[in-house]
Amino acid sequence: MSILESNEAGAATSPRSFAIAHQRPRNSFVGCSRITDYEVLGKLGEGTFGEVHRARSKKTGALVALKKIIMHNEKDGFPITALREIKLLKLLSHNNILRLEDMAVEHPARSTDKRKKPIMYMVTPYMDHDLSGLLDNPSVHFTEPQIKCYMLQLLEGLRYLHENKILHRDMKAANLLINNKGILQIADFGLARHYEGEVPKAGRGGGDGRRDYTSLVVTRWYRPPELLMHLKRYTTAIDMWGVGCVFGEMLVGKPILAGESDGHQLEIIFDLCGTPTDENMPGWRSLPGAEALQPRPRQGNLSQRFREYGSGAVSLLRELLKLDWRGRVNAIDALQHPYFRTAPFPAKPHDLPSFEESHELDRRKFHDRRAALPPAPKGGTVGRGPQDGPNASFSSDGFSSRNGANGGRYPRNSRGPEERVPAWHRDRGLPPRPPPPAEGDHPDGYRDRGGGRPPRGGGGGGGRQDVDTYIPSYDRDAPRRDDRRRRDDRDDRRHDWDRRREFDDRARNSRTRSRSRSPVRDRDRDRDRDRDRDRERDLYRR
Amino acid sequence: MSHMANPLATPDQLFQRRSFGSLPIEFQDTVFFATQCLTQAAGLLLQLPQSVTAQANVLLARYWLVESMMSHEFGDVSAAIVYLTAKLSPHPRSPRDLANVYAYLLSPSTSLFHPPTAPPPPNNPSIYYLSEPAYQTFHTRLLALEAHILYTLSFNTHVALPHPLAITYLQALEFLGTQKEKIGKRAVAYLNTALLSPQMLYLTSQPNALAVAAVYNAARDVGAKMPECEWWEVFDVDREELGFLVVGMRSVEGWGAKIRGDLKGMMMGVGRGMVTRGHVEGELGRRGVKVGNGADVVDAEEEVARRMDEKMAEMEAGV
Repeated sequence: MSILESNEAGAATSPRSFAIAHQRPRNSFVGCSRITDYEVLGKLGEGTFGEVHRARSKKTGALVALKKIIMHNEKDGFPITALREIKLLKLLSHNNILRLEDMAVEHPARSTDKRKKPIMYMVTPYMDHDLSGLLDNPSVHFTEPQIKCYMLQLLEGLRYLHENKILHRDMKAANLLINNKGILQIADFGLARHYEGEVPKAGRGGGDGRRDYTSLVVTRWYRPPELLMHLKRYTTAIDMWGVGCVFGEMLVGKPILAGESDGHQLEIIFDLCGTPTDENMPGWRSLPGAEALQPRPRQGNLSQRFREYGSGAVSLLRELLKLDWRGRVNAIDALQHPYFRTAPFPAKPHDLPSFEESHELDRRKFHDRRAALPPAPKGGTVGRGPQDGPNASFSSDGFSSRNGANGGRYPRNSRGPEERVPAWHRDRGLPPRPPPPAEGDHPDGYRDRGGGRPPRGGGGGGGRQDVDTYIPSYDRDAPRRDDRRRRDDRDDRRHDWDRRREFDDRARNSRTRSRSRSPVRDRDRDRDRDRDRDRERDLYRR
Repeated sequence: MSHMANPLATPDQLFQRRSFGSLPIEFQDTVFFATQCLTQAAGLLLQLPQSVTAQANVLLARYWLVESMMSHEFGDVSAAIVYLTAKLSPHPRSPRDLANVYAYLLSPSTSLFHPPTAPPPPNNPSIYYLSEPAYQTFHTRLLALEAHILYTLSFNTHVALPHPLAITYLQALEFLGTQKEKIGKRAVAYLNTALLSPQMLYLTSQPNALAVAAVYNAARDVGAKMPECEWWEVFDVDREELGFLVVGMRSVEGWGAKIRGDLKGMMMGVGRGMVTRGHVEGELGRRGVKVGNGADVVDAEEEVARRMDEKMAEMEAGV
């Protein structure tokens, strides 16, 4: 039972009347709404798939947020990441998970204009703030009851997600939305996926992973040590680390682990939590990313750094930021932590003060910490426009040989193309490793020959355990080293499906025409998009 | 999370479709059956697990519940649904694979819809060779239809299948004292056959009811002794719904045979293979039924539209 449900008006309703009140509307197959069902009120920010607008529903009068889905990829149709997010959100129903209310379509103004494609929007309730924006607001100061209240809601939402076998994979303050009724909701499921392991059980931490996923998830500042060391068989514990980071961020008022590169991120994690040993992080030595690590031994300064917030906070933080992912506390147990049962007690959501709304766009005016935000993972979130942002020109080729799967997606630092050496290379001066054998690399392009294809390994679930189905692996004949082209692909680095497009491109290059992706071409595309955006802005102004 | 449940068709939607669809009922049924069979065949050739193909079957039924059958070519709709379902599953397939498979299945060389008694059709690979322009146009149609399907379904792409439930129920019933494989296979066979039913059983019943009905039918077929009590109530199915589904599932076989006969009639003189919009229109014409508003009416409408466009252009130029 969520702490929020208990506040809802009216005493206990019968299951039957609850079912009737919550049943699917009668017109379950009527299709999507039109954008004209909404009165668009202005731009709020830019999310995973593109812009977010505020709007008012003409049917209900409710304020909503419209999240535009950018159709990047002409070749594979509707972006799979968007499809998955929509499918997941439609299956979820929890007070602390952002609800997908509707899908709205905007047709081009004139149907004769064939070049313009319809635009899809995801419609969610309007939330006044995101946590990151709220913490940036200098006039906002969180009290301890308030932090406890948000933490409880965050953990409730996460417990629900994990119970339903969903990994969020992009836990961070910017993805936690808060409204002026004090409700916190987890948003942005662009990186989420179905989890195939055991659901967390009370007292058992995160448990063991059952299969491999891509380790290219979670925004760097919130990325747990096991992901930074490329553990692939990870568990729901990766989301719990993010909760710890968010908790610390609420206490301090700014991100607590703001690493400048993946290597630096690990260093500051060790500063805070101590260096890994076989006791505090069993098996860390065998992780692929840990081979080259020779951390200077230290104890970790977590208790000194957070001493002023009390022993309860320190104890919870220690549980959440445990290096050992198997022993890291799960959401069920974290909710039972004594921190929430000692004075000052958690506030009730409706008792919380309300603040002036804060959104990404407002924040951007001030050019404050936005300039330092690490890039979200490719499938991830916090959009900025293609042209702005400190990471606009980052790229990671040149050293891509180290790890084909990882090199392409994250900048090693955000200082521009000159310094494109991963910190841990720079620090240690190791030569780059030879490229790993590309996964699933079939020497013959059997696909091109039409007819007979070799049988898929195992079909149902055997076989290729190492493949993360989050990214459909059509072009298995294309090698998985996708970083060569990254340099030019600056504007859409956050999107998973781009990876696929690149696969596709390459596969296509090999089979039909040669299509180079020159910088000029991309610039054209940027310009096109800017123009489209201007056009839409005009449209809304009208 | 509503993992176990599906959105169902409302009685109103079913009534609308049956009574006011652009096609006579028997045509609707024939096309439905043929396209579902085509989808299954494509799933086999694409080496998709049945769990994916069956979802495609359900999505196809949902789509045609809302959208008129004649608005797109049947084979294209099937391909787009399979593409979309596979994309959402752990077994995505490329447009190229789909193009090849459908080129074959829609060619006269396919043995799909071929009477099992007759000699197999001559295999002539040059008929289903896919040229690059043909692939490009297929690809364009595929993506356009995909978007249209998503829009029509309001992005409700989640399908809960009854197959795992049926096995679970059988386990709970300890396989009714019969051979596990035999009764299990029979139950799954009933569920797969029900996908083809023009009664659209997957849109009228929740997975638990379908599973119970399949178990019941399978038990009857293998001569298993069922509990004397009203055991279906344990699985949250009432007697009336069970009765309806049992009859519905059992009738598909005979009904399918009849449809195959109808198909042959409809395809008379046009060769064999998958039914197309052209065939349907031709057959309707032979029966003296016209689809659409008649050619001249359409022309007049186009004329008006053209004039309005010109007017708009003038006005915009004036501004």
